[in-house]
Amino acid sequence: MVADASDLSLVRRVQRGERGAYDLLVLKYQHKVVKLVMRYLRNPADAEDVAQEAFVKAYRALPQFRGDSAFYTWLYRIAINTAKNALAARERNPVSYELDLQGTDDSSDVVGRLKDPETPEGLALTEEIRDTVNHAIGELPEDLRTAIVLRELEGMSYEEIAASMDCPVGTVRSRIFRAREAIDRRLREVFDGGLGRTEELV
Amino acid sequence: MNQDEVESQLSAMFDGELPATECELLSRRIDRDENLRARWSRYALIGAAMRSEPVATARSGFARRVSVALAGGEPGMRVRRGRTMIFQAAMSASLVVGVAGLSISMLRYAANGGGAVQLAHSALASGTVNVDLAGPAARSAGAGVPTALLAASAGRREAGLPASAAGADAAMAAARRAGNSEPVSYVTPASVAHATTALRTELADFIVAHSEYSTQLMRRNLLSALVSNEDGADSATPGAAAAPGGAVAPGHAAAGAVVHASSPASVSSR
Repeated sequence: MVADASDLSLVRRVQRGERGAYDLLVLKYQHKVVKLVMRYLRNPADAEDVAQEAFVKAYRALPQFRGDSAFYTWLYRIAINTAKNALAARERNPVSYELDLQGTDDSSDVVGRLKDPETPEGLALTEEIRDTVNHAIGELPEDLRTAIVLRELEGMSYEEIAASMDCPVGTVRSRIFRAREAIDRRLREVFDGGLGRTEELV
Repeated sequence: MNQDEVESQLSAMFDGELPATECELLSRRIDRDENLRARWSRYALIGAAMRSEPVATARSGFARRVSVALAGGEPGMRVRRGRTMIFQAAMSASLVVGVAGLSISMLRYAANGGGAVQLAHSALASGTVNVDLAGPAARSAGAGVPTALLAASAGRREAGLPASAAGADAAMAAARRAGNSEPVSYVTPASVAHATTALRTELADFIVAHSEYSTQLMRRNLLSALVSNEDGADSATPGAAAAPGGAVAPGHAAAGAVVHASSPASVSSR
């Protein structure tokens, strides 16, 4: 898979001591890892803490990563184990939650509920993201749509796409970039209307 | 390079299609450009949405928090290592200074008369029981020593034991009983009186000359103490009294406290 190759390139850079490359891997996989951990820990804040711990563990174990499997497959296992350990620790030391009779305002944690994909708001947001992306792809010119689909769904390299579309590699690069820009423009509108700031994703 | 080109590079880098040299430059730019970081993250979200992968939006600053957590671990260790090294160096230095200071203090103590007990012990060990209590410290702290030394020496002689063996233990015990808690040296100089002073001076010179931690003030104080001690010794020399048995403790009889039990020859002849 080409996606694996791009991850491997970042991993090799991290292994050479370039920590900024790991930052890019975190930015790339944070949404998937947080979502994965949420299967075990329902609280979004707890899930983020555990996801953060998983990323830290992965970074420390990265010198031993040989690239036999895809980076995300490897990260996935670390995240699952970290989440299970956190869950076991919580069961050993249960935290009692006091009932807040004063703060009965349900709107006090709107942002938290939006970020939790299991809440109706969170599910609606996730669904909205998917609809927006799919709608934006449908509006793309044929050459841009083909290029981004071959890249994201088929996992083809630029060279393979160029061969498939019978165009130079530079053109493929430009088409994929312009497709992403068009989709991203729509996506920013969703975030600006839903979460208020697109920087929330960083 | 315009923003459009940078964003085009970002898209290519996201796909792993940017040359390594350009990746390095762009990575530095991404690190300080929040807009590029957000865009990179949204590119991941777009791909996940297209593949219908489950995603959850993390709170603001998630990646930064991970980065801080990582940075907090590594340099922290360096700092701890650095602190440990500094601590060890400081401990070593303080140990050296402490030993040097202690040595000088002991030498001063010896120069002020504390060495009289050592001298007595040395004399007993060599068979010539010349006990010099001329030193002021010996007079104040070890006033009971001469009697004890004499009694011990006499007792041993009566028992047929050599004074050299008899007096040593008794002198040590008597010195301790007299309230002097300082350990008594077992060093036996070749010559009785002058050799002890010479040894002290040599040791002091050695420490002053070789200790890099000796300050100017410490050297001056030490030398002053040595000079004053030497002066006192020189002035006492003319007044040295001849002991009844013929043995004399040269330079140590200023206070008339030279105790002569017997000469080596007389002890061996008994």
